[in-house]
Amino acid sequence: MRKRFGTMLPDICRSLFRRPATGDYPFVAAVTPERLRGRLEWDPAACTGCGLCAMDCPASALAVAVLDRKARRFVLQYHLDRCIFCGQCVVSCRQGCLRMTGTPWELAALTRETFVTYFGDPTDVEQVLAVKPEEDPGTPG
Amino acid sequence: MTDNTAQGFTVPIGPQHPALKEPGHFQFTVDGEIVTRAYVRLGYAHRGIEKAAEARSWTQNLYLLERVCGICSHIHALAYSLAVEQLAGVEAPPRAQAIRVLVAELERIHSHFLWMGVSAHEAGFDTLFMYSWRDRETVMDLLEGLTGNRVNYSANLLGGVKFDLQAAQADSIRRGLDFLEQRTRHYLDVVSNDAMFLQRTRGIGVMTRAQAEVMGAVGPTARASNVGRDLRVEAPYAAYRDFPVRMALDERGDLEARFEVRIRELFESFRLIRQILDDLPPGELGVRLPRRIPAGEAVVRLEAPRGEVYYFVKSNGGDRPERLKVRTPTICNLTSVVRLAVGHQLADVPMILAGIDPCFSCNDRLVQLYQEETGEGRSMSWKDLRQYGIDFYARRQA
Amino acid sequence: MNPLAALFALLIFPGGLSLLAAGLVYEWVDRKLLAGLHNRVGPRWFQPLADALKLLVKEEVVPEGVNQALFIGLPLVALAGALSAAVYVPLAGLAPVHSFPGDLIVVLYLLSLLTLGMGLAGTNTLDRFSLIGATRTLTQVFSYEAPFLMALLGAAVVAGSLSVSEICAYAGEHWLILTQPLGFVVALIGLMGKLEMPPFDAPEAHTEIVAGALTEYSGRGLAFFHLGRSVELVVGLTLVAAVYLGGLSSPVWFAVKTLALLLVMVGLQALLARLRIDQTVGLWWRYGALLVLVQWLVLILIQRS
Ligand code: SF4
Ligand code: SF4
Repeated sequence: MRKRFGTMLPDICRSLFRRPATGDYPFVAAVTPERLRGRLEWDPAACTGCGLCAMDCPASALAVAVLDRKARRFVLQYHLDRCIFCGQCVVSCRQGCLRMTGTPWELAALTRETFVTYFGDPTDVEQVLAVKPEEDPGTPG
Repeated sequence: MTDNTAQGFTVPIGPQHPALKEPGHFQFTVDGEIVTRAYVRLGYAHRGIEKAAEARSWTQNLYLLERVCGICSHIHALAYSLAVEQLAGVEAPPRAQAIRVLVAELERIHSHFLWMGVSAHEAGFDTLFMYSWRDRETVMDLLEGLTGNRVNYSANLLGGVKFDLQAAQADSIRRGLDFLEQRTRHYLDVVSNDAMFLQRTRGIGVMTRAQAEVMGAVGPTARASNVGRDLRVEAPYAAYRDFPVRMALDERGDLEARFEVRIRELFESFRLIRQILDDLPPGELGVRLPRRIPAGEAVVRLEAPRGEVYYFVKSNGGDRPERLKVRTPTICNLTSVVRLAVGHQLADVPMILAGIDPCFSCNDRLVQLYQEETGEGRSMSWKDLRQYGIDFYARRQA
Repeated sequence: MNPLAALFALLIFPGGLSLLAAGLVYEWVDRKLLAGLHNRVGPRWFQPLADALKLLVKEEVVPEGVNQALFIGLPLVALAGALSAAVYVPLAGLAPVHSFPGDLIVVLYLLSLLTLGMGLAGTNTLDRFSLIGATRTLTQVFSYEAPFLMALLGAAVVAGSLSVSEICAYAGEHWLILTQPLGFVVALIGLMGKLEMPPFDAPEAHTEIVAGALTEYSGRGLAFFHLGRSVELVVGLTLVAAVYLGGLSSPVWFAVKTLALLLVMVGLQALLARLRIDQTVGLWWRYGALLVLVQWLVLILIQRS
């Protein structure tokens, strides 16, 4: 085609009669893809307490507390605010205990404490909390 | 810097400036509107990633290195994975390699669209900016649907990829590509025919082939000056051996050529992705790697959207790398900005800078020492630097 | 005119407050339409007002090395210039509040006060971006001002008067857009130049020189400059609409005309990439001035015959 002025005229004309491309997010819920990697879920059934998930996590977002290996009493501490949703833990866990969920995906909160989740039996969690009030794996050097 | 008379009138751009979305510092000495001297200073976004990598396990580094660049995140993780696989003496299965290339090409599309918008914005053509970014959402959505994340896709694993490609994703990618291809054809028309826009790109920032070779330009910047440098063609890696690419070249070397080369590359990416979707090799998605990687050294070079990415990884047989070196394309192309800016109008400088598609935080691997009073650079040996650090903290504590 | 009515006209309607309000509304329409053409959402209706209020209550930072009086006074002069220009134009399609022979020239000069004020404000500071911006602003004034003036004088010539009200009266009978299309084009694009709209926004090209001449301004001064620009948008549109689109008319019909002009201007903003300052000057003197001269030639030939 030839050199001319206003090559984007068709676009702007069409836009005059079209809704903005911007989503109405807070008013209309955004659709998320099925594979969206969001919050982590733990299924204790098959967990062996091997700790591989915590070891491979690049963000130190996971810690596994072993209360009783025989009785399979484990508590998984998960720092949602540190998690970078990379999905490495899901791959690292050979027992398939971990899963990332896309719903809900709005994870903002007002306090930091709400981001720490303890997965596991409630009594076990209490025990873990009583023994070591705040175990913090920290970030690697 | 404050002396206006001795060196002429100097315009500082950055480290905080609306034209730069990342910190970098440029000084342009101008005579009226014409630039007579240009100077660049880097290091504002030096994050010490290479050092940090030495403290993390092989697996953890995959995600650290993915964050070297926010736009071409996949290519860094891919380069690192390939290097580690090379050290371990394994190769990811063909299906995994094809998916890696698929994501890499989708990433190229998103990166080129992003670049097109940014450069149009620098030229004051916000309509092109808005529309190209609107359409870029399509490919972002495709990436999110395929990998689960919008920006740092984390598609790679050491030895393979995390996910498979299913019919549903393949279909949505095909549909998305149809739309993008039609839009890209329109944008090619815009950048090569819009009379107003051409005034800002045609004949501006011309880099001859000889210059490009001397200054070591890489990627689309070099290809726009007819330097046939594209690692996907010259040294095919991953699945590029099975899915060959045609190089887009242009001989004009100006900004217009850089626009056209990048847009023509988009068409090539569309074609390649369709081909991969059609002929995806069957098989496994990955092989397991040991936790300790055998001692050795590996060098990997890949073609990122902006040009050649270089990775050097050294292992001493432990569970973490001993040394890792990253070189990103921006550092190779920055010389050309400083050279080409001279003689141009100040108004063209942001365009020339944007023309190489700079990415500062991924290119910052050094901090320049700079004497405030004399304006001279200086270098320090490792010993000096260590001593300086000890003294510094001693002084602080005292 | 009795003093009370004059004060009312000056401070409340059609000048003063209602003019400021109209300025904000037109600025909103400008931004919203541009957003629409970009396929974006754009600002809500009170955004320009919120911007202005926010700036007005903000602390004004006076940088070192400036002439204080000028730094504070120039925004006022600029706004005052734009506001007083309004007295002589047929706002809302009503007859101008005040009129005397030759007021067209006065209006055009008053409208230039804003640009000159911005240029001077830029040279007043030590900031390099401001200085370059100011140089560009002043360079640009010299490029579009003459063609713009000559285009409007073309209308004055056929009306046989330099008074805005008489030109409007003449324009009420003849739609000058039909008889002087070239003049209309130059006047409209000249108005865009005056308002530093894209593609003539090189003086404030933020990817090069941050905010151009106004880089050092914050708070009240910046608010006044912005308000001045909004007012000038209304006054300029009024003038062009009255001269070329059929003179005085009912306020509603007149608003439709000015908004239509605004739509055209927004469309041009969206379609055109920013010009470098040398290209701006070249464009105006090579094509702008030429178009006006052709227009004048035609006028003279027709008047002769
Ligand atoms: S997704 Fe990544 S960052 Fe989050 S817990 Fe798992 S391994 Fe750690
Ligand atoms: S890797 Fe799996 S099995 Fe091992 S501790 Fe973690 S969740 Fe449990």
